[in-house]
Amino acid sequence: MDFGGIFSALTEILGTPQYLLLLFIAVPVGLLFGAMPGLGGKLAIVLVIPFVFGMDATAGALFLIAMHSVVHTGGAVPSILFGVPGTGPDAATIVDGLPMTQRGEAGRALGASFAASGLGGIIGGLFLLAMLPVLRPVVLAFSPAEFFLLALFGITFIAMLSGNSLIKGLLVGFFGLMLAFVRLDPQTGAQRYTFDQLFLWDGIDIITGVLGIFAIPEMIAFGIAGGSMAQVSGKGASFGMAGVFNGMLDVLRHWKLAIRTSLIGSIIGLIPGLGGDAASWICYGHAVQSSKTPERFGKGAVEGVIAPETANNAKEGGALLPTLFFAVPGSSGMAIMLGAFVMLGIQPGPALALNHMDIVWTLMWGLMLANILAVVMFILLAPSFSYLSYVRAELLVPFVFVLTFLGAFLSHMAWQNMVLLVILGFLGYFLKKYGWPRPPFVIGLILGPIAEDSFHKAMALWGLAFMLRPGAIVMIALIVLSIGVYIWRAAKSKRNGRVMTEEEIHGG
Amino acid sequence: MAVKALLNGRVGTALMMALIFLAMTLFAIGLPEKARLMPLMVGIPGSLLGIVQLVVEIRGTIRNGPPEVTAERRKAELGMYLWVLLFFLGILGFGFIYGATALVFAFMVFGTRERLLTAVISAIATWAVLYGVFEEGLQIVLFKGLVLGHLMG
Repeated sequence: MDFGGIFSALTEILGTPQYLLLLFIAVPVGLLFGAMPGLGGKLAIVLVIPFVFGMDATAGALFLIAMHSVVHTGGAVPSILFGVPGTGPDAATIVDGLPMTQRGEAGRALGASFAASGLGGIIGGLFLLAMLPVLRPVVLAFSPAEFFLLALFGITFIAMLSGNSLIKGLLVGFFGLMLAFVRLDPQTGAQRYTFDQLFLWDGIDIITGVLGIFAIPEMIAFGIAGGSMAQVSGKGASFGMAGVFNGMLDVLRHWKLAIRTSLIGSIIGLIPGLGGDAASWICYGHAVQSSKTPERFGKGAVEGVIAPETANNAKEGGALLPTLFFAVPGSSGMAIMLGAFVMLGIQPGPALALNHMDIVWTLMWGLMLANILAVVMFILLAPSFSYLSYVRAELLVPFVFVLTFLGAFLSHMAWQNMVLLVILGFLGYFLKKYGWPRPPFVIGLILGPIAEDSFHKAMALWGLAFMLRPGAIVMIALIVLSIGVYIWRAAKSKRNGRVMTEEEIHGG
Repeated sequence: MAVKALLNGRVGTALMMALIFLAMTLFAIGLPEKARLMPLMVGIPGSLLGIVQLVVEIRGTIRNGPPEVTAERRKAELGMYLWVLLFFLGILGFGFIYGATALVFAFMVFGTRERLLTAVISAIATWAVLYGVFEEGLQIVLFKGLVLGHLMG
C-alpha cells in the first residue's frame, strides 16, 4: 500500500485553495439537492456537469464526488421533520425519525442523523481504502444467486418490522412486492399490470411509493390533529444545541451498531445493482433484529435513525470502487458519475489502478472531507431546522403538500406519478389509521425487482443448483438464522408476557 | 350485529387489501408463464392472508363493536381528504407555478382562516421557490398542468 501517495493526496487537497473552495461549494449544493424531495444526487450531477466541464479533471471529479456523497445527509432533514424523504434511501429514516420529532426530539434525531451520516461517510472512505487489494474476488463472488438470496434476506425483515401483527405486516410487505411486479416482465417483455401506461413500464417509482405511503398520510393526520409536528410544548419543547449534541452522543453510545451498519452499507454499495434503498432498509432491519428491545422501533428509537443514515452514506464509498476500477457503476447515481468522469477525461477501469491512483486517493479524501464538512455545516443549522417542527400545522401542511407532489413529479418527470401518489396516499392513511405497519411496504417495493430479476438469472444459469453455491449457502444460513431469531424472540416475549418499562423505552 | 356495523374503516381497510390481492392474483393467471411466476408466488399467500385478516377484523368488530369516530373528527378528516384532492386536481389542471401557488393561498384563507397577509406572503414564497429556484435557477421545467398546457398550446 502506497501510504506516501495516500497522505500526499490529503495534503494536496488541504493545501490547494481551489480544491478547498470547491469542497465548500459542493457540500451545500449536495445538501440542498438531498433536502429537496425528488431532486437527489443523480439530478445534482446532471445539472452541475456543465459547471465542471472544462475544469481540471481531478478538481471536477472532486467537486462531483463531494457533492454526491452528502446528498443523503441533506435528505434526512425532511424525513425527520415532516416524514417526507428527500431521497429514496432516506425513507427508512422516517420510521423512527418522525416519531422522535413528534416527541419533541427533532434536534436529537437530527444530531444523530448528521453524526451517523458523517461517520458512515468516513467509514465508507476507509472501506474503499481497505478493500483495494481484495476488490476483484469480492465483487466477482456476487452472482445472481447471491443477489437473489440477499434480497430474500432483506425481505425476511418484513417480519421484524411487523410490530404486533405479523399478518398485517406480511400483507403490507406482500403488497409492496406485488406493486414491485407492476412493470414490463424482464423475461418475456409482457406488460404486467401496466394497462398500457408507459410510465409504469419501468415499474412504480420508489420515491412516489414512499411519499404516498408515508408523507401524504402523515400530513393528513397532522392537518386533522392540528398543533405542531412536535406534539409537546413548554418544558418539553426543545430546539437548542443541547438536543443536537445529545443525538450526536447517541451515535457514540451505539458505536457498535454504527460501525456494523456502515460496513454493511459499504458492502452493499460495492455490489453493483443493489443500491442505497436496499442498504438503508437492510441496515434498519439489522438494527431491529440486533436490538434487545425491538418493540421500541417505529416509536422513536434513535438506533432507527442511526442505522439507515450510516448505511446510505457509507455505501457511496463502496459504490465508488467498482465504478472506478471496473467501470461498473455500483448505483444509478454512480452510473451518471461514470459518464461525468469520462467527460472530464478520467477513464475508469483497471488502467486507473495502474496509472492514476493519485486521483483515486484524492477522491477518497474528498469523500471523507465532504462528509465531515457536511456534518459541521448541518449541526450549526440543526437548531433552526428543529424549530420547524414547532411551526403550526396550518402553516406547514400546504407547503409540504406542494413539496410532496413536486417530489412525485420530479422523480420521473411524469405527471401520472401524482395520480399514483394520491391513490397510495389515501391507502397509506387508512393503513396508518387502523394500525397497519407501513415500513414493510417499502422493503417489498425495493427488493421485489432485485429478487425477481436475479432469481430468473440464477435459474437460467444453474437451475435450482444455484442454492448450492458457497456464497448462496452462506446467505441461506443467514436467512435461516434471521427467521430463527425472530421465532425465538416471539416465543420468548410471549412466554414472559413482558411489558417494557418507561426506562427501557427511552433508555437508548 | 347489523351488517351496517361491519361497514367500518377497520373492516373496510382489510377488505380493500384482500380485494387488491385477489384481483392482482386473478389477473396474474392470464399472464405468460414466466411473467406470472413471482406474482402468483406472492399473490396466492397474500390473498389467503388477506382473507384471514378480514375475518379477524370482522370478528373483532362483532366482539368489540365498530371503532368510534366523533362527528368533529369525521368532519376534519373529510376536510383534509378534500384538500388533498384539491391540491391534486389543482396541480394536475394548472401546474405547479400557478396551481400550487393558488392552492397554498386558498388553503390558508379558506381552510385554516389565516390572516390575508400571511396567505399572500405564503403564496408569494411558494411561487418564488417554484419559479425562481426550480424553473429559473435549476432550469427544471415543471409540470404546466393539463388544462393550462392545453390552453397555452
